[in-house]
Amino acid sequence: MRNALAAEWLKLRTVRAPYGLIAAIGLMVAFGATISWLLVQDYDTSPAAEQAKFASADASVVINPVVQFCVAALGALVATSDPRLTALTAVPDRKRLLAAKSALVATTAVVIGTVALALSIGSSRLIMGDRPPPVAPWDSVSDVLPWAGAAVLSILVTGLIGLGLGLALRSTAVAVVVVGVLLWGLPAITPMLPEPWNMDVSGVMVPYLVYEVAGVVENAPLSPLAAVACLLVYAVVTLGTGMVTLLRRDA
Amino acid sequence: MIEVRNLTKRYGDTTAVDDLSFTVHPGLVTGFLGPNGAGKSTTMRMIVGLDRPTGGEALVDGKRYQDLGQPLRHVGVLLDPAAVHHGRRALDHLRWLAASNGIGRGRAEDLLEQVGLGSVRHKRIRTLSLGMKQRLGVAAALLGDPRVLMFDEPVNGLDPEGVRWIRDLMRGLAKEGRTVFVSSHLMSEMALTADHVVIVARGQLVKETPMETLTENGSLEDAYLDLTSGRGL
Repeated sequence: MRNALAAEWLKLRTVRAPYGLIAAIGLMVAFGATISWLLVQDYDTSPAAEQAKFASADASVVINPVVQFCVAALGALVATSDPRLTALTAVPDRKRLLAAKSALVATTAVVIGTVALALSIGSSRLIMGDRPPPVAPWDSVSDVLPWAGAAVLSILVTGLIGLGLGLALRSTAVAVVVVGVLLWGLPAITPMLPEPWNMDVSGVMVPYLVYEVAGVVENAPLSPLAAVACLLVYAVVTLGTGMVTLLRRDA
Repeated sequence: MIEVRNLTKRYGDTTAVDDLSFTVHPGLVTGFLGPNGAGKSTTMRMIVGLDRPTGGEALVDGKRYQDLGQPLRHVGVLLDPAAVHHGRRALDHLRWLAASNGIGRGRAEDLLEQVGLGSVRHKRIRTLSLGMKQRLGVAAALLGDPRVLMFDEPVNGLDPEGVRWIRDLMRGLAKEGRTVFVSSHLMSEMALTADHVVIVARGQLVKETPMETLTENGSLEDAYLDLTSGRGL
């Protein structure tokens, strides 16, 4: 297992695509900080009545979906970028190969997610300063920890979703499109369903689950624990489908 | 040694390999010959566990490939030189393969020199010529210093110098007592390289014999065409 993991790590860092994805995340963090700064500038020059209507200047909420998508694409790349012929000749034990890929994607996702969230929350904190809500939605870093934890969990899950879809579909492009549908397509459609399905179905969409896990949604369809379980179901189902494909199909 | 026992592979109603049995012995270059679609590549893929047999088994030194710990140390395989990530550098390609089987980084560097790719070690694979990619595939096969080597059409894309290089390499490996199993369409090349031949057609064994027996009454090409005429796709 150690050798397989070392090989997967070496494979990941010796191609260009992961660096592109990390650069995209870095740009998004910088962009988020810029938006946050512009919003605070506008806030400072607005009358008090207008200030009460301002949105939060916490950029981490905005960058999280982008980090999720990039990490999911990374997961798909880990699954598909190397031809199976070569990968399975080197590591013919398919369960070990899957375990190595899963461990790599999980670790990378948590590291990338934690760093991106920390940078975004940290820069937002610096920019917001000691301004009151709503422009600064939290008083201290401890207030934001549930949200940050939920966001990192969602990034971990989307990485595993990307890996599972990549293994199942055997195509980076198709896997990334399906990830896009899961993260953005379906959540855009489900609010149009008739009541009460709209809330029930929206409540199990990945972007909404993050807020439910953080416990920041009033009258949420799911409790934080149920939302964590639901996120894990996404990972288990997609990774399980990928595992069955890897184990049963010829290379 | 490679032992293929009653190996069968079916895709729906199509039988690609049909109850095939033969043995590839150490110390010899064994040529694997047959028309297009005869099941040569499918057989090789089943030997290394890429495709699952419908029936029968293939063993390398008495074990299934999947059961060999660190398989690259036992079997070197060149099935498709294009089966690489073309955006990776040549040395990095060998480094990850080496890491996957606990082989030191120095071995990858040495092998690139040995196959004549030392000067392009830091080039991305997409910039290498077909012949260079073939040499990189050979280097990957030799990475674990294995006792068994399998090459599928290894001279494809090689210039005359490269063809001679790989011929001498295979003969040298067999002389060291290793098992060398090589498929090719080029009869003239096989006549110069192989000591023993396994001929298949439509997934079935047609002939397994020493080269000298097959060619005692004429050329390998004549013997091959006699044996396989009417057995193509």
